[in-house]
Amino acid sequence: MDFSLTEEQTLIRDMVREFAEKEVKPIAAEIDRNHRFPVETVERMKELDLFGLSIPEEYGGSGGDTVTYALACEELAKVCASHSAILSVHITGIKSVLLFGTEEQKRKYIPDMASGKKIACFCLTEPGAGTDASALQSRGVRQGDTYILNGSKIFITNGGVGGTYCLYVMTQPEKKLKGITGFIVDRETPGFAVGQSEDKMGIRASVTSEIMYRDMVVPAENMIGAEGEGFKYAMKVLDSGRIGMAAQAVGIAQGALDAAVAYVKDRTQFGKPIAANQGIQWMIAEMAAQVEAARLLTYRAAALNDQGVRISKEAAMAKLVAATTAMDVTVKAVQLHGGIGYTKAYPVERFMRDAKITEIYEGTNEVMKMVIAGSVLS
Amino acid sequence: MKRVIVCYKWVPDGADIRIDERTRTLAMDGVSWTLNDFDRNAIEAGVQIKAATGCDLIGVTAGVDTEASGKDALSRGLDSLYYLSDQAMADADSRTTSEVLAGMIGRLGGADLVICSEASDDEYAQQTGPRLAALLGYSSVTCVSALSPSGESLSASRKLEEGVEDVEIAGPAVVSVVPDINQPPFPSVKQILGAKKKPSQAVALAEVVGDMDRIRPQLRTDSLLAPEVSRKRVSLSAGGVGAADAVAGLLKALAAEGVL
Repeated sequence: MDFSLTEEQTLIRDMVREFAEKEVKPIAAEIDRNHRFPVETVERMKELDLFGLSIPEEYGGSGGDTVTYALACEELAKVCASHSAILSVHITGIKSVLLFGTEEQKRKYIPDMASGKKIACFCLTEPGAGTDASALQSRGVRQGDTYILNGSKIFITNGGVGGTYCLYVMTQPEKKLKGITGFIVDRETPGFAVGQSEDKMGIRASVTSEIMYRDMVVPAENMIGAEGEGFKYAMKVLDSGRIGMAAQAVGIAQGALDAAVAYVKDRTQFGKPIAANQGIQWMIAEMAAQVEAARLLTYRAAALNDQGVRISKEAAMAKLVAATTAMDVTVKAVQLHGGIGYTKAYPVERFMRDAKITEIYEGTNEVMKMVIAGSVLS
Repeated sequence: MKRVIVCYKWVPDGADIRIDERTRTLAMDGVSWTLNDFDRNAIEAGVQIKAATGCDLIGVTAGVDTEASGKDALSRGLDSLYYLSDQAMADADSRTTSEVLAGMIGRLGGADLVICSEASDDEYAQQTGPRLAALLGYSSVTCVSALSPSGESLSASRKLEEGVEDVEIAGPAVVSVVPDINQPPFPSVKQILGAKKKPSQAVALAEVVGDMDRIRPQLRTDSLLAPEVSRKRVSLSAGGVGAADAVAGLLKALAAEGVL
């Protein structure tokens, strides 16, 4: 079993690491405090071809595999989880078209998304339909060569800054999950509107918005795949999306661990660094072991995805363990900092707030357990 | 300007080197290798000349395991790579390196311009550029902080202690650039993944050096220790000393050290 990265994976990881350290880290605290979408670094990420990472070159993507994509998400999250969220949800948005769109749709829509000209959004959640997608209230009604879409979505990452939205609505409500259909919708489509953005606990530099559509006419040719297959597609898209989320959680945890290690070596009490105390050492040891375990699960799920293996269980395991690790490690990192860790003088309180979302979005920890149990018990 | 060559060095990554605090020796176990930091500037200087002139931009390197450097170097904008990898380069000093590089460049048929950086992270001898110029019979221009093509010649600015000197360079030259010359950009994902499609050619030591005596290192490293940093650890405010007295004590102590 070979756990080593390829030369290209290493070079791209190192490039993202250097970019994150030099350009993202200096603004991370400010964009969190001001709840500001970081236009300047997002533009730089586009220049570095990160918005097309893991998307094939034939559709204008940058190429690269899922492992590389995970490495990029992890490196960004080590200094700022918002940047990682912006990237990974964008890639998840593209995947709806890449995995299930027609050849014509791929050639028409993916190049602009992969270049970052149009940021992609994945739109499933509604006020009454979080984990339970069968409760979707959005409706799509066929009218000639078009569908008329009505409804709204909430908690759409990149919603306020998006250009292309992959929207899942009910076209045959009586069929419940088998009545869901996906559509590719341009932001400029008449009837489409972006609502207010959420004032969130963490990942505050990413824009999470409500979107609304009233009597929006969408050509039938914009339908993703077959009618009624939307739920199945969305779940498969989320399988690969969860690798990005797991990597984000690993990055947050590693960032918090690095901060904690630096602090306990520097902080002196009773005449010696607190790192000299066994109680502290054991906490650090547990944190390091947790992060490494989460990382290996994440890389393995990513590598299996690259081999074309169905990874529902592996991705769910990676996300569950990584998210739990991120929460646990960041809480410990704050504890190791003591009183100052509870202030904004150090980044660990931000890591702790950012970690929480990884246990919730793109499937809660509980949903991950449902997916894992469903696979294990089948 | 038809052919520009950038020389770069593949060096141990300083970020990975650990210092044994007791013995001050450097622990090199598990240290990864990387592109010499200053050479990023040299490559970027070449990329900018290429953008202005459309020249062919070739990377040249000689060392140990240099094939591992190819994708990193090529991703930064070189058109092709010509490399030499030989264990005999493990103890290379500036003389060895410049002899080998001169042999490689000669075998390529020379160049209109050869760009080096000021120094390497590991040796920091600052000799390879000027030595190379002497061996090739090219002009040597050091401390270059700006470089631009001007017709058939080149305009360069040299950052010197007394000021900046502007020079015109005619004919083939070896320039050594300082880090101020540019801000090397990060290679993009497409550049990194595209590097494997660029031509890369290995050459053997025997093909570029006729007389092995000429590359025998003349410099032997007897000892390599991290610098010792000792602090006096004097506390002027300990024991309830007031701020005014502590400041007065600080001024007195600094004066005694000759700092003030």
